[in-house]
Amino acid sequence: MSDLKPMTALGGADPVRLTLGALTLTENAELALASLALRRDTIVGSGRPIPLGLTLPDPGGWVGLEGVAAFWTGPGQWMIEAEEAAGGDFAALVKTAAPDCSVTEQTDAWVAFEITSSQGEGPLVGLLEKLANLDAALFRPGHATRTAIEHMSCYIIRRAEDRLAILGMRTLANSLWHTLTQAASRLQLAA
Amino acid sequence: MTRLSGGVIDRSRTLSFTFDGQAYQGHPGDTLASALLANGVRLMGRSFKYHRPRGVLSAGSEEPNALVELRTGARREPNTRATVVELFDGLEAKSQNRWPSLSFDALAVNDLFAPFFAAGFYYKTFMWPKAFWEKVYEPAIRRAAGLGSLSMLPDPDAYDKGFLHCDLLVIGGGAAGLSAALTAARSGARVILADEDFRLGGRLLAESGPFTDQSVDAWIAGLEAEFASLPNLRVMRRTTVWGAYDHGIFAALERVADHLSTPGEGVRQTLWRITAKRAVLAAGATERHIPFANNDRPGIMLSGALRAYANRWAVRPAERVAIFTNNDDGHRTALDLRAKGVEVAAVVDSRAEAKVLGDYPLLAGALVTGSRGRLGLKAIRVAQHGRDQWIPCGALGVSGGWNPNVHLASHHRGRPVWDEAQQTFLPGEEGPPGLIPAGAAVGEGSTHAALMSGARAAVKALDALGIKASPPNLPEAEDRPLGLKPLWHVPGKARAWVDFQNDVTVKDIALAHQENMRPVEHLKRWTTLGMATDQGKTANVTALAVMAELTGKTIPETGTTIFRPPYTPVSLSALGGGNTGTHFRPRRLTPTHVWAEGRGAVFVEVGQWMRAQYFPRPGEKTWRETVDREVLATRAGVGICDVTTLGKIDVQGKDAGAFLNRIYCNAMASLKVGMVRYGLMLREDGQAWDDGTCARLAEDQYVVTTTTAQAGPIYRHMEFCRQGLWPELDVQLISTTDAWAQLSVAGPQARVLLERIVDGFDLSNAAFPFMACGELTIAGGLRARLFRISFSGELAYEIAVPARYGAALMGRLVSLGADLGATPYGTEALGVLRIEKGHAAGNELNGQTTAQMLGMGRMVSVKKDSIGAVQSRREGMAADSRRLVGLVPVAATDPVVAGSHLFTEGAVHNTGTDQGWITSACYSPHVGSAIGLGFLTEGEARQGEVVIAANPLEGQAIRLRVVSPHFVDPEGGRLRV
Amino acid sequence: MLIPHPLLGPRDAGEFTYLGDARLLERPDGLGPDAPAAFHDYVYLRDNIAGVQRELWFHEQGDRSWLVVTRDTLTHEILKAELARDVVLARKEAGK
Repeated sequence: MSDLKPMTALGGADPVRLTLGALTLTENAELALASLALRRDTIVGSGRPIPLGLTLPDPGGWVGLEGVAAFWTGPGQWMIEAEEAAGGDFAALVKTAAPDCSVTEQTDAWVAFEITSSQGEGPLVGLLEKLANLDAALFRPGHATRTAIEHMSCYIIRRAEDRLAILGMRTLANSLWHTLTQAASRLQLAA
Repeated sequence: MTRLSGGVIDRSRTLSFTFDGQAYQGHPGDTLASALLANGVRLMGRSFKYHRPRGVLSAGSEEPNALVELRTGARREPNTRATVVELFDGLEAKSQNRWPSLSFDALAVNDLFAPFFAAGFYYKTFMWPKAFWEKVYEPAIRRAAGLGSLSMLPDPDAYDKGFLHCDLLVIGGGAAGLSAALTAARSGARVILADEDFRLGGRLLAESGPFTDQSVDAWIAGLEAEFASLPNLRVMRRTTVWGAYDHGIFAALERVADHLSTPGEGVRQTLWRITAKRAVLAAGATERHIPFANNDRPGIMLSGALRAYANRWAVRPAERVAIFTNNDDGHRTALDLRAKGVEVAAVVDSRAEAKVLGDYPLLAGALVTGSRGRLGLKAIRVAQHGRDQWIPCGALGVSGGWNPNVHLASHHRGRPVWDEAQQTFLPGEEGPPGLIPAGAAVGEGSTHAALMSGARAAVKALDALGIKASPPNLPEAEDRPLGLKPLWHVPGKARAWVDFQNDVTVKDIALAHQENMRPVEHLKRWTTLGMATDQGKTANVTALAVMAELTGKTIPETGTTIFRPPYTPVSLSALGGGNTGTHFRPRRLTPTHVWAEGRGAVFVEVGQWMRAQYFPRPGEKTWRETVDREVLATRAGVGICDVTTLGKIDVQGKDAGAFLNRIYCNAMASLKVGMVRYGLMLREDGQAWDDGTCARLAEDQYVVTTTTAQAGPIYRHMEFCRQGLWPELDVQLISTTDAWAQLSVAGPQARVLLERIVDGFDLSNAAFPFMACGELTIAGGLRARLFRISFSGELAYEIAVPARYGAALMGRLVSLGADLGATPYGTEALGVLRIEKGHAAGNELNGQTTAQMLGMGRMVSVKKDSIGAVQSRREGMAADSRRLVGLVPVAATDPVVAGSHLFTEGAVHNTGTDQGWITSACYSPHVGSAIGLGFLTEGEARQGEVVIAANPLEGQAIRLRVVSPHFVDPEGGRLRV
Repeated sequence: MLIPHPLLGPRDAGEFTYLGDARLLERPDGLGPDAPAAFHDYVYLRDNIAGVQRELWFHEQGDRSWLVVTRDTLTHEILKAELARDVVLARKEAGK
């Protein structure tokens, strides 16, 4: 192991966690990411790979298994996620699982913020309404989309009834954190 | 002054407020206007141009007169309509556009010079001398005219924005809107009901007994309870839908905390963008007045407003009240006031056949022809059967009929259509698709008609979405016709106001007619009709009718009046989206940002990025001193710079090489694995666009770098080529700019330094030569990529690690290289190093230059097709002889100024003799003087010649010697050691 | 405006970048005998119709698809939206 010390996207040694009323926002520094794109042969032919046991979802979708997940990012392209795996070479693992695909390291391309609600989906819908121009009420668990939040390109993933993830470009982590925490605090939710 | 009985105000609580420093009291439920009227205050403002004393005209957002400055200090807000300000305890308001006081205004003298200020007076009067406009006339006019003044302090409050989606948006919470919302919400559709008022009910609240089978209060209370139980309905009070945009997108402003003295921790206003599949426009109607001589005195208001103040706010407008009307609605006001015990002096009805409907004196076939009372109405003059009489009264309600609020229906240039029967404009067919007008907004103005119309509109809207809805049981309601007979103004010699806010009178319209400013668009601009903050809500249609009368045409022949967003004024704070200062726009921070802050770096904004510009050390007095040190340290030992901002695009696929061959003007398919090549991209028109490096990591994988500025556009372009030009190729793209922290390690000691951190990787020149690349591990197992490329002209590498390790790597390299003189450098030194080496950057790739001009003409391959290659060979471009040259001052202390144009010595300086320009300039510590790069005609052949750099902005003409653009190591030997 | 994305449904136009006339998809062969003339027309002679036009939109803040959107530029009515990739592949297939 290298003795170089990593820094989180927000610039600290440890991930940041903040509770604002019913919402808790956590920097998920250990989420590993790799993009997976089908080669043209696979698109033209048939049979999508099933990397790490994940059935790759249709447009707008997200699927999660124990510790790994995948969401659609574009035609023939997905992002593969793995919990607690940022330290390793996740792209290499995905490439092994899908050798006929183009795989690109994306772990440090993104900062991931996990947002949980202690009071069901209401606070999450309220937050989404302030953040992004998507139909928050129809953005149910299993949905993932890319859109702009305050001019920042982000992936928004509805992981569960009470849980959202927002992935933003890593170099914009501070601006995105400001946007998310400001929006959450302005909701003035009770805990 | 005592209140009447009834009303929707909470008399159990008292709110204190001040107006022009005077203390008053009101109740929850009051507006500032109703509370002032209840306190006997009729004079609330001064008019725009003539400074005429003015009182409240309306009871809603159409108000032209009663504009006040609300609050104090940084929260002072000018031009607030007292009619929509919800009273709160401690409210402070001031009248505006008067000096020294509201009752004595020195500039009321303007009123005496009124003939001088007739329509078009700005255009006619202040034409000469021209120089006077900016310095004398305009400031004087701006002081004299105009409205309230700004606090000039930063707004202390928070503003927010948000996005909502629904099946049906119902705009307006009156009879039609409530009925539509109820119908739709019960069907299960997702519904938003938005109303600008703080209380649902609209005009229902202003009428006495509009329902015959139940009370309005009970019905609305029942609705409120049902609405609260329906999760598919969102009721938005204090929310004005102010604009209709394409495809069912609406803008709405929610005044979250305007009714509180301060918003506290919350937001003050929220700007909503509502995407609705369908919408019902139930915005109601605005009553029109009837211009007559001196019709603008405080106490003269719209008849429906008078009624609203009495019914909703229990305000006794005056001891004796009169009505002037051309329809039966005016009589309703008289009836309601009588029922509340107010003396009605007379109902003056222009219709000869008018019938009395209750216990009040009626003057049928009569006109109001004048008024008295300097600061408030005292009497009206009435002409009937050729005889004049003066009738004393403290308030006059005027009713000229109702104009449907067609505003949003005309936001797509949907032209309103004249309805001869109703004598009014109705929403036309060409309004925003999916927007269905209902109720008074479409001329269905009786309570019964409005309720039915709202329900019908909701059923129709939802039917189009495949949602079945049926009209609910609705209250039995009045359904009286207006019986209107048009009367657009009372003829006479004295001034009769049409547009109160902008002081436009019937005479001004006559003057516009006389001067041939007859089309409605000319009329508007010549007289400033409808241009104030109220946008002519109470003026435009009347003005059109007056012009029609003058031209002898019908109203529809004369024109129509359409509206633009916003329906009512929206503060810039709300439109600004809520972020100010540091967070006004997103900021990208490099992986070493925190580390650089710790080193005391000075940062510079580069697009969205914040980059370290230079790293001052104690004792360094100027930035130049710091930058010179960083440059010299790099050339003597080793310098380290964060270059993460360069765009990085991962290109994979069987056809990646073939694809890049078409993207770059030079060949990339032939690049060997493990090697890097400089690449130049052209635009399709043949101009140079962007440059960078292209590294081949595997047979089917390249990493392309772009300049910082073009990272986004180049990625977009490559996706266009991949998807739109050559989709048959097997290529996949993804940006990896943020994934990798990339550091440039440059200088003769670069290899020595890197050898101290790599895990046994052979860095020798033989094993890893100039332009090599590879994947390796460093510092005990960290994944890294290494590229032997140089922007400085020195032996140099760029090393990339996962972004989270960027700061640690930077710190490690600086400490490991202490004995080698390892020095972090910023963008200034980066710029100096590349200018000294003669490398092109953004200044040279500015969209006006070609590969040939950059000295890279031979790079454009003729053996293959690539973007821009064909057009780059066009005659005109090929004939351009300007070439990149280096420039040094003949007198060593002279400056070199970027942007200067180059001329042959002795030539006159004009565009015909222009020989090129200086693109980049800096002080070069290596050369010991200022240096520059520039494009010069026949540049290659002119080395040694002296040219003139003309900088006419500063009166400079400096002699420069033309040299090679490579000030450092022109043979490139240092790169290859 | 809302762009009816063929894969993702209606998306706000703010997520897209606009490029204009979809004829840009019909790039001439740079090695063809008439390349100079063909490229002149391709680069400079683009339509800008007051009416129904096929135009290019890039879903920049989304899935990064280039779309061919058929839009009435007078009313902003959108008649069709297709993936540019599909449009071009179909044309190339037909041209074989």
